[in-house]
Amino acid sequence: MTSKSVISASELSVRIDQRTILDNLNFEVGKGEVFALLGGNGAGKSTTLKTFLGLMKPSTGTASVMGMSVAENTNEVQKSVAYLPESVTLYGHLSGYENIRYFLSVAGVEKTDDAIHEALNKVALQENAWHNTLSNYSKGMRQKTAIALAILRNAPVLFLDEPTSGLDPAAIDEFNSLVSELANNGATIFMVTHDVYGACQVAHRIVLLSNGKLTGSFERVGDTPIDTEAVHAAFAGRK
Amino acid sequence: MMRFNDIKREAGFVFAHRQFKLTLLVVFLLSTAALWSGHAEMQAQQATIERLLEKDQVEREAVLSHQDSYGMVAYYAFHLTYAPPSPLAFAVVGERDVFPWKHRVRMLALEGQIYESDTDNPELAFLGRFDFAFVVSVLLPLFIILLLYDLKAKEREARRFDLLNVTARNSHAVWTSRTLVTLVPLALVTLVPFVAFAIVNGASVSSILLACIIVLGTISVWSAIVLAIGAAQRFAKYSATHLASLMLGVWLITTVIVPVTGHTVINAAVETPEGGKIVLTQREAVNGAWDKPVEETWEKFIETHPQWSDYTAYDPKRDGSFNWKWYFAFQQVGDESASELSNAYQQATIRKNQLAGYVSLLSPSLLTQRLLSNTASTNVQSMIDYENKVRAFHASLREFYYQQLFAAPEFSESSLKRLPQFTTSSQFTTTPMNTQENTNEK
Repeated sequence: MTSKSVISASELSVRIDQRTILDNLNFEVGKGEVFALLGGNGAGKSTTLKTFLGLMKPSTGTASVMGMSVAENTNEVQKSVAYLPESVTLYGHLSGYENIRYFLSVAGVEKTDDAIHEALNKVALQENAWHNTLSNYSKGMRQKTAIALAILRNAPVLFLDEPTSGLDPAAIDEFNSLVSELANNGATIFMVTHDVYGACQVAHRIVLLSNGKLTGSFERVGDTPIDTEAVHAAFAGRK
Repeated sequence: MMRFNDIKREAGFVFAHRQFKLTLLVVFLLSTAALWSGHAEMQAQQATIERLLEKDQVEREAVLSHQDSYGMVAYYAFHLTYAPPSPLAFAVVGERDVFPWKHRVRMLALEGQIYESDTDNPELAFLGRFDFAFVVSVLLPLFIILLLYDLKAKEREARRFDLLNVTARNSHAVWTSRTLVTLVPLALVTLVPFVAFAIVNGASVSSILLACIIVLGTISVWSAIVLAIGAAQRFAKYSATHLASLMLGVWLITTVIVPVTGHTVINAAVETPEGGKIVLTQREAVNGAWDKPVEETWEKFIETHPQWSDYTAYDPKRDGSFNWKWYFAFQQVGDESASELSNAYQQATIRKNQLAGYVSLLSPSLLTQRLLSNTASTNVQSMIDYENKVRAFHASLREFYYQQLFAAPEFSESSLKRLPQFTTSSQFTTTPMNTQENTNEK
């Protein structure tokens, strides 16, 4: 792990019932980097994510966030990260605004109404929807609500699980812009996805995961997005 | 550690659910309806006792004023005995549905008079009356399951579980405070009507507190069961629906199957004479006495009442046209012939009750009912105590009348002022008479 890495996997393996789910992963993610772990179904993406979130223990090796071993400092790590699950299912009977208030309270974070309004404006959630119950939100609106929550938590590290799954193209563009802005502001973003195009648009680095092993890596050079064709070929070939 | 903010937040969260508020309303209505039903039943029982007490007095006075021999008075005068409902009986009708709580007894053989009394609703002993105890022990666990079965499973299914755990400053505080703000209102809507009815019925503070502790204990035990199943690693992958089925299975086994099986096994295991057999044995002894030599009855009577051995002679001129001493003696002998059966019946009832106590350790619902019925004095022991009070009272009647009949003082209406009166206290005494002083010549 370099001194600049915010997230790192060192010889990380997870075995469940004698089945190897993750096999000796090694990578580092630096501050302000958007890192995409790309893999098909059953590749081990969710297990990797859960291990970094402290929801699963590694069998061997170390998963570290902000220089702390996740397994040994789960609570501390969880205070430093924000997590956007796939299909963000916040509470349907609460409004977007109430959901944010609720989760901020759960996190023990106090924010003024103005701060919440600012975050909701930042993620471009229409103002007339703020106080509607979440059950009336589209997936994109729920996604924006969750990102507003992450912004309000000032978490330096964001873990995103299939963030663009189910979003329409316009919503994906909006989302990618938000992610880029957060990264530009210093947030480290770790996303797992099987969306090759989306990952290439937003990620600084894409790492391929197949059967629990890292099988390839692609890096953005300057402002040019990673070559979708190349990633797709590598991804399709190893899926 | 849980903070006030956690409680406040989760209270707002839980109360935002319409289903939760509706559930609380239903529990409140069920609790109130059950209490009202029990209150009305106990008011009716109390009114019956008061009405009977009034009529009992009037009727006995009429008998006493129209008779001129102790034998006739003893034969015709009825005496009301009763077990008044305790101040908490409205909440736990308990064994008052199964055991008789009022009798009208006279000097005839007693066992038949006790066991002749039909119970009002014997089948309710099996099904359980819709009273507060039923709501607490049978229905409340279902509402606890309804409110808590998916505490975590629902979040897992909605894929919020990880989000909550990762986001929470203290994830235990989320679950603990959410459980608390669910259970405290549930306890309140159950107990507030109970406390109100208990105050109206004049229950003591200690008994109200004890009943509240039992209800809170029941809520705690069932919550622990539901939460333990929900948290068990073994069931971690179960859906909320599967978990609910599992919890309902536990409810069914502990609330229905264990008590019903226990009831059946206990009844099969504990040999109990039938009440009808007691009545029959006593009646056969009484009826048979008419055809037996008088001496045979006296012999048996004197065995248990040796003090009257010198007073069995019959003087038609003095004692009237009919030998009342002999008549009441064979009533006594009739009782004694059934006493072994009667005693066995009571011992069997006590034994069954004791075994049911052991079974209740496997059934939180049954245990709750028993604890509540102990608190409300509507348990088996209370009803046996009443039955024994009737026997004690009847014994005091016999003591009084035997002194009049055997010692045979001249009939005096004023002596009837010492006639024992049934009271709900356990002691029955008659003023001892000096038989020698009052003895006429045999």
